[in-house]
Amino acid sequence: MINHYDINNDIKFLAKSEIRLKIISELQKKPKSVKELVNTTKITYSSISSNLSKLEEHNYINKKKNKYYLNPLSEIYYRNLMDFKMSIDLINDFHDFWDKHDIDQLSTESLQNIIDLKDSELIKTTPLDIYKTHNTIKEKINESNNLKAIFPYLHPEYPQLIGNILKNNGTIELIIPRNMFKKMIFEIDETIRKAATKEGRLKVHTTPKELKIYLTICDETMSLGLFKSDGSFDQNRILISSSKKSQKWANNLFTNIKGNM
Amino acid sequence: MTNIQTKRQLNEEYKNIKYILTSTMRSRLILAMYKSPKNLEELRNELNKPSATILHGLKELENKNFIKKIQKQYQLTSNGFLLATNMVKLIENWSSINKNTDFWDNHNLSGIPKELLKNMHFLKDATYVTSTTSDLSNAFNRYIKLISNASELKIIMPIYSENHFRHIIELLNENKLKYLELTVNKEILKSIKANPVLKRNLIKNKKVKVHCVDADLKLFLTYAPTFMSLTLFFKDGHYDDSQILIGTSENTLSWASELYNIYGGEK
Repeated sequence: MINHYDINNDIKFLAKSEIRLKIISELQKKPKSVKELVNTTKITYSSISSNLSKLEEHNYINKKKNKYYLNPLSEIYYRNLMDFKMSIDLINDFHDFWDKHDIDQLSTESLQNIIDLKDSELIKTTPLDIYKTHNTIKEKINESNNLKAIFPYLHPEYPQLIGNILKNNGTIELIIPRNMFKKMIFEIDETIRKAATKEGRLKVHTTPKELKIYLTICDETMSLGLFKSDGSFDQNRILISSSKKSQKWANNLFTNIKGNM
Repeated sequence: MTNIQTKRQLNEEYKNIKYILTSTMRSRLILAMYKSPKNLEELRNELNKPSATILHGLKELENKNFIKKIQKQYQLTSNGFLLATNMVKLIENWSSINKNTDFWDNHNLSGIPKELLKNMHFLKDATYVTSTTSDLSNAFNRYIKLISNASELKIIMPIYSENHFRHIIELLNENKLKYLELTVNKEILKSIKANPVLKRNLIKNKKVKVHCVDADLKLFLTYAPTFMSLTLFFKDGHYDDSQILIGTSENTLSWASELYNIYGGEK
């Protein structure tokens, strides 16, 4: 698959110096003179000026009159670096969520776009509220007109929740294990179920494969749950987010898993 | 001297990328294990470093919970795998830009939204063709050749070029081209309508859909089922017909499709 990856010297050149990174982040907002850079960053004149020369030498910036401008490509490089930084921050911020959990069913694309989840909140159960994760999701589903979900296991309340959405003319699309089909779908009120199926508002995809991911996509929020490395579902943690990016991320993941079935 | 507090803030802000990216040992170890779990000997051979150095690096990564040792195999944890995947993305983005540096560096990139500029790794298989002094229309001819086999084309057209239109109309009339979507701005649309030949063959053609947008279009993008091509404007505002970026891989096409949909298509 891959021949040889390495962090090239350009990446190192930028990553090595916080001052250079800071200068680029400032110039990205707008072109500035040395003095303006010193004032906004509080870094000494000598450090700023020596790093400006190095950046100019490496063709990241150029000087016109007394202002320094970022070259368009430098901005792209910088953004790529900052995305990478954000991905590390996200791994660290939700350390317990990823750690010792199974992420094999997340596609490479989903993993590469993991920063789309950066506005998420990690919901954890507490000894005083051991159903906090389930109840949070339930609340979101109840507020939503439509639902797309990957349910790797059956919760006795799901048929009811799904039935409610269908009753209100909402749309449901599910990915579930094959052996769950009867228990899940036949528990929904028959008249509602048949009408919705006929109108194309209830779509169910079943798979003989084991699903190792829990995903719900409501109108406003998405939530993600993972399995622990020992194979059991982690009922105590979910990542929940209402940002547009996370919604798109979740939809991509849903489509990807559907496509792989 | 920069004062201590400023220094501390700066360190804090960038310490994570510095930690991973500036140590050749740490980054190579992570990337080596991204391919597959490895034992010490395999790592030693791959990195060509003594055991002591490698063990030191492994210990550091283990403490950060990026890797774990199971029996004699070192492998990435899920956190480490997430990190490695994003590291590979960074490297691929970088090399994909570097592969076509001249193309990107010569042009005004304001027409390409930031989100897509951050996903340059999708373009790693794309290459650019340049016209030369001995063949001034090399880029244009390549373009015409490319579109001549397409049954479907979606084009963001920021220029009024009768030369381009003439070829496109020919393809439509020969019925090789069965569907054409054109995204243009008001000014270009006005010029098309003012030309009776273009009006008849494009605007009044059932096979053609024209979308008019308000945006100032700064890119010439062609998106077809089997290829995509991109030409841009110079930084001074002039259209550059001498360099064309062409790609055919699945990733490149999905990048182009996303770009097309941002400007064109049904809203």
